[in-house]
Amino acid sequence: MIDVRSDRVSKKYAPRAAGMSGPEAFWALRDLSFDVVRGEAFGVIGPNGAGKSTLLKLLARITTPTSGRIEIRGRLAALIEIGSGFHPELSGRENVYLSGSILGMRRREIAAKFEQIVEFAGVAPFIDMPVKWYSSGMYVRLGFSIAAHLDPDILLIDEVLAVGDGAFQEQCLGRIRALRRSGTTAILISHDLTAVEQLCDRVMLLERGQAIECGDPQTVVKTYRHRLGANRPPLIPGPQAPVPTIDVTGVAFLDPDGLAGSSCRTGDALDVRVEYQAAAQTTGQAVEVFFYSADARVLHCQLTTAFGAVPFTAHQGRGTIEFSIDELPLQPGDYAVVASTRDLSSQQVGSYTEAVRLQVRPGRMVRGHFYLPHAWRHRREQELR
Amino acid sequence: MAEAVEISAAHADAAGPNSRPLTIISPPALSWQLAWRSVRMLPRYADLLYTLTAHRIKVRYKQSLLGPAWAIFQPLAMMLVFAAVFSTIVRVPTGGHPFPVFAYSGLLPWTAFAAAVGSASTSLVAHASLVTRVYFPREILPITYIAAAVFDLAVASTVLLAMVVYYQIAVTPALLWILPILVLLAGVALAVSLALCAIHARYRDVGVAMPLLLQIWFFASPVLYPLASVPAKWHRVYTLNPMAGIVDGFRSAVLEGRTPDLAALGSAFAIVGVGLPIAYLWFKHVDATMADLV
Repeated sequence: MIDVRSDRVSKKYAPRAAGMSGPEAFWALRDLSFDVVRGEAFGVIGPNGAGKSTLLKLLARITTPTSGRIEIRGRLAALIEIGSGFHPELSGRENVYLSGSILGMRRREIAAKFEQIVEFAGVAPFIDMPVKWYSSGMYVRLGFSIAAHLDPDILLIDEVLAVGDGAFQEQCLGRIRALRRSGTTAILISHDLTAVEQLCDRVMLLERGQAIECGDPQTVVKTYRHRLGANRPPLIPGPQAPVPTIDVTGVAFLDPDGLAGSSCRTGDALDVRVEYQAAAQTTGQAVEVFFYSADARVLHCQLTTAFGAVPFTAHQGRGTIEFSIDELPLQPGDYAVVASTRDLSSQQVGSYTEAVRLQVRPGRMVRGHFYLPHAWRHRREQELR
Repeated sequence: MAEAVEISAAHADAAGPNSRPLTIISPPALSWQLAWRSVRMLPRYADLLYTLTAHRIKVRYKQSLLGPAWAIFQPLAMMLVFAAVFSTIVRVPTGGHPFPVFAYSGLLPWTAFAAAVGSASTSLVAHASLVTRVYFPREILPITYIAAAVFDLAVASTVLLAMVVYYQIAVTPALLWILPILVLLAGVALAVSLALCAIHARYRDVGVAMPLLLQIWFFASPVLYPLASVPAKWHRVYTLNPMAGIVDGFRSAVLEGRTPDLAALGSAFAIVGVGLPIAYLWFKHVDATMADLV
């Protein structure tokens, strides 16, 4: 039984023709065909600009394809945070009814689920207060909670783990699992490879609007990680050096006790070890370690030559070099790490490793994009003189 | 139109728990058949229509001192200003009726129309955050503004009623004519709003031009002067404006207790009968990719 069928779907955007700025025209999706079987969890992954959000918009009926057709059997609901549709002057209660009916619920249905929705969002004491007095967290939780209680046949999930704090995310995952147990078909469109691997039965990898691979989650996620490692144009231009004299063969993460692993927590100490193999003793080459976000953006690059470090001399045979981080600044999430070598005179890339996954778990609570290792000092005015 | 079609799967599948509605999402196409299907889908969204309309009415008066009294106060204030000007400085023939009730009975349908079209025609862009995030039949947005305007008109009618009593104007069965006239008013407002919505998604000039357009339209409608004062040779051109017949018909039903001038209502009938379906067809066609534009 097929619940969702996409038949050679293409979507072309022409921002210029519509009087907006941007490129002349581009295909966000190109002849995309896939089937989602009833009851399965289907994941869609891919880098930014691959067409994931376009696919989401087409499935949610927000826009229509340029060619091809999509058939959806059953009631499809997008699990989105509807808070942007809230009216600030109205109370939480009134907004639940308003947003619920926009999402296609009948008033009677909303009334029946009202307690559940409010309970789930954890805003019960404030439900009769205008939402303009809500904190942004309450706003988001209530908005999301309404969508989470739709009871659809097919559930469309967009970056579910990007909503609210850790506890609320866990609650959302619980809700998704409960819906899945009751046989709801799910389509999960996400950057979060861990979530996709954990939740999905099948995964499709999108790149430039086309399906590169579709099938077993582990296999497809591995392909994606490999391509992340292979397609790293941002910081490494130029062709490869003809004969790499140093081969970087692997990246490992070590905790303070020296144990290797693939996960650690924000603010923890971490050592990164790069393994290499050299044909002969070599100087004039630098080792670089790139940190990528799950959506393939370069977040950081660590070089052996930077900031007056001793020029790196590789010994013949196998060896390792390590650098240590006292307090890991990365926010919780999924990262990919790649090591490469660069010839310092020609600036050409020598060899590089496969992308290795680094999972960062919640540790030190940090607001903003990253944790900044720091120390506070406080002085009185007299001491300054 | 044809953004998406829902077909009952009852006859396609064996009946039972497995029969679910089938939604087909396909490229935009101008098709009467698809437009008709989306019209038939609308009753399913009656709850949304009700909630959104109630929301419009509620929100308008939140955090305001006078609250719903504004619905009365607006046409009333306009009427007092016009009464001050037109019954002392400039004399307008009112067919023997006191100017206040003459003006108010014209301002009532006009204010409803102007408020409806003014807000409905920019409603899709104003709700861009919804339109780009959730699917629902988008024609519901302009419809709710029109419904809210008709509601305000009903509230403001209480003042008209008081004036009718105060000036001892005879109430006749012809008063019932205001109901079909209000239906025509809503239909014309919807046709105009749907067309302007479709243009507004692409060209934001509509939002800028709206106050000017309504200003011109106001003076081109017999609100402050009677239809009878329009020179006979211009009558035919003048009544091409659908609001001419609507405002005049509303007023004559209330003040004179006579059947409206059906010839003057011709253009309103034409717009509701022919213009509205075309505007809807076009709206649904643009609507299919509207989210890419707003």
